[in-house]
Amino acid sequence: MLDNISYFIRRALRNMRQWPVLCSAAILTMAVALATMATFFLVVINIQGLATSWSEEVQVVAYFQYPPAGNQLAPLIRKVEAFADVKQAIYITKTEALKRFEARLGDDAGLLEGVSRDLLPASLEISLKSGSHNREGVARVVAELKKDSRFDDLRFGQEWLERFENFVDLLKFVGLVLGSFFLLAALFIVSNTIKLTLYARRDELEIMALVGATKRFIQIPFLLEGALQGLASGVCALGFLTLAYKLLLQKSLQTFWLTPVGFDPIFLNGNQQLILVLCGILLGSLGSLVSLRKFVRL
Amino acid sequence: MIQLFNVTKSYGKENVALREMTVHIEKGEFTYVTGPSGAGKTTFLNMLYGACKPTRGQILINGINITRMSGRQIPYLRRKIGVVFQDYKLLNSRSVYENVAFALEAQGKKRYEVSKRVYKALKEVGLEHRLQRKPIELSGGEQQRIAIARALVVEPLILLADEPSGNLDQEVTLEIMELFKRANARGTTVLLATHDHSLYKRFPKRVLGLEDGRLIMDHQP
Repeated sequence: MLDNISYFIRRALRNMRQWPVLCSAAILTMAVALATMATFFLVVINIQGLATSWSEEVQVVAYFQYPPAGNQLAPLIRKVEAFADVKQAIYITKTEALKRFEARLGDDAGLLEGVSRDLLPASLEISLKSGSHNREGVARVVAELKKDSRFDDLRFGQEWLERFENFVDLLKFVGLVLGSFFLLAALFIVSNTIKLTLYARRDELEIMALVGATKRFIQIPFLLEGALQGLASGVCALGFLTLAYKLLLQKSLQTFWLTPVGFDPIFLNGNQQLILVLCGILLGSLGSLVSLRKFVRL
Repeated sequence: MIQLFNVTKSYGKENVALREMTVHIEKGEFTYVTGPSGAGKTTFLNMLYGACKPTRGQILINGINITRMSGRQIPYLRRKIGVVFQDYKLLNSRSVYENVAFALEAQGKKRYEVSKRVYKALKEVGLEHRLQRKPIELSGGEQQRIAIARALVVEPLILLADEPSGNLDQEVTLEIMELFKRANARGTTVLLATHDHSLYKRFPKRVLGLEDGRLIMDHQP
């Protein structure tokens, strides 16, 4: 058994040494296919990360007709914070609202000179829990707030929220379609490249069958070879992806004008990197297996 | 050893390669299979090592009906049969040693046994000093001797040779015939397909004559 295993490994390595061009072509093709898919995956998870951080901005602002009395405020905040979807409620006084407005006006703040300090209404800024940054979560909070007559007006960017959710849905759909397309294209290209490498070695396959090698005996070294090439291509793809991320993606995401402050671009985590290399091994082995079925006939 | 009963092989309706062939070859016999090109010599040999199956009829080797063998069993049949071709069928990217060792490795033999037997087989054909050379660096005669060493290294019960001297000159052909005779003397059944009349005149043995897929002659010297 051990003799057989060492023989198969020796033969797989010897085959790779004897056919360096074919071997490199297979590794490169698989590496490009894997790197393309992984880059695409990386872009999608980063855009989704961006979308998630944008969605964290979703909040409900409830304006008071009359600011609550000092002893009523704390119970009101406690009541609102007790809603299932609410993370935090912050009270904004009339003065504070005007200060923010002034800050926003910047150089034009002088326009507010002489304006009454209680021009703007007091409000509660209600931020939502992570699972509630969607239309349903906002609607539940709004429904509860509407029951309280102390609130005069409610603002929650319904239109923006709808557009945002449609955008995320579109992103997921495009991701699925393009991802499937890349996967099929990669499988097609890889299986054809391996077919070509086996075609160049059909004499060897024929002679092995001629001298009484069993199908398994013929196939195992080729499968091992495919797996080793897949491993090499997975590592190459990971290296390429790391470089592309450091040099291009990270910088471009950090300078993207819509990227919120504090958003850290995401790279593949340990498990995802392992999965990428395993995908390489699987791609190489499956590509070899599919092609071998065509060439090894006893 | 080899028994054919009413064996017919056709490729489509029009192209019949062998017709109703019945023949018995005893263990240890040396038999020529002769006939012009297209007579069915290669088809006859191909069927004996399971490269193709007869359309009709039965073939028995050592009492086993090989026409009923599954794809999984064919490799085990081939381990008992050595095959030599006109075009040698060697791997030019491998050394002489590796080409011969290939046949034993395919049978899962241990490394030390492989090296011992390969050296012995190459010595038998006079190529023990060319172990690490590539076949392409050697002459046609030497390449054919590698192919014969590869066929003999497994100590086959049957040796099939399909026009083994087709690409070789007279002198080398005689050397190769000596190798076949020696294998036959050790008890291997030899079937040699050739259209070279001078061979069986010089080394008279049983001759099966084929023409247009029919057995038209079975001559014992």
